[in-house]
Amino acid sequence: MSHAAMRLPDGAEDISSGGFNLFAGPFYRLPDAGETRRFAFIALPKHMNASGTVHGGLLMTFADIAMSRTSRLSTGARSCSTVSLSCDFAGPGRQGDLIEIAVTVTKKTRTLVFLSGQLTTGERAVMTATGLWRIVQ
Amino acid sequence: MSGPRDGYSEVRLLDPFEIHVGPAFSAGEKGARRYAFRAEPRHCNMRGVVHGGMLMTLADMTLGQAVWDATDNAACVTLNMQTQFLKPAMAGEWIEVAPELTRRTRGMVFMRGDFTVGGELVMTVQSVWKLLGQD
Repeated sequence: MSHAAMRLPDGAEDISSGGFNLFAGPFYRLPDAGETRRFAFIALPKHMNASGTVHGGLLMTFADIAMSRTSRLSTGARSCSTVSLSCDFAGPGRQGDLIEIAVTVTKKTRTLVFLSGQLTTGERAVMTATGLWRIVQ
Repeated sequence: MSGPRDGYSEVRLLDPFEIHVGPAFSAGEKGARRYAFRAEPRHCNMRGVVHGGMLMTLADMTLGQAVWDATDNAACVTLNMQTQFLKPAMAGEWIEVAPELTRRTRGMVFMRGDFTVGGELVMTVQSVWKLLGQD
């Protein structure tokens, strides 16, 4: 078991099976908290920017993966695509931090899912994301 | 198709995550540069579509380079980024952007960029940057 895996919360499931998800990851799904879907990753050296904080592109990648998966889980769709995503960067993540996202569904229509996600490390806000997903099939 | 097109040279990337996903390329003079990226299978999902996270990383990287150009390499962070995904980009494609400075204040820079493949829009991005040490 890797050092990272030892620090993950109980019930964490690796969801990085291939492609960019694996290349940028690993990312994990955590047990649901009621209607809220939870995901996490541990900030590794490859995730950082030169000033020693987690790269914004990696944080947006994590949000996109977690929110896309939530859009599928909440609708039973096999495939959903991101239409738009807005991210506010509230505070830095540091190497070794366990960074979590709590994703909630704001609204579902026949073809669209509206989602929001809060990224935190410990009690501290890292990023807020809101976005729109289209149900492809 | 692989590698950069004529007239483009490799961007010197500093951030470990950008080096991990790179390389990226640029052409033109400071303040009016174009940036480009060759999508590879490692940047894509299982269906060969470039991952949204990769496209947003490319946007943060290239608009950030343009902020540096506009501020003589001031220390800065992304405050907000808004992305619209208009059309899928595929493995092997050459993705281009010419970042535009929308407005600069003492403490903030507003940027936008239209990302294209073969002249067709794939993504539009607006981002707000904070210059560190400026209120």
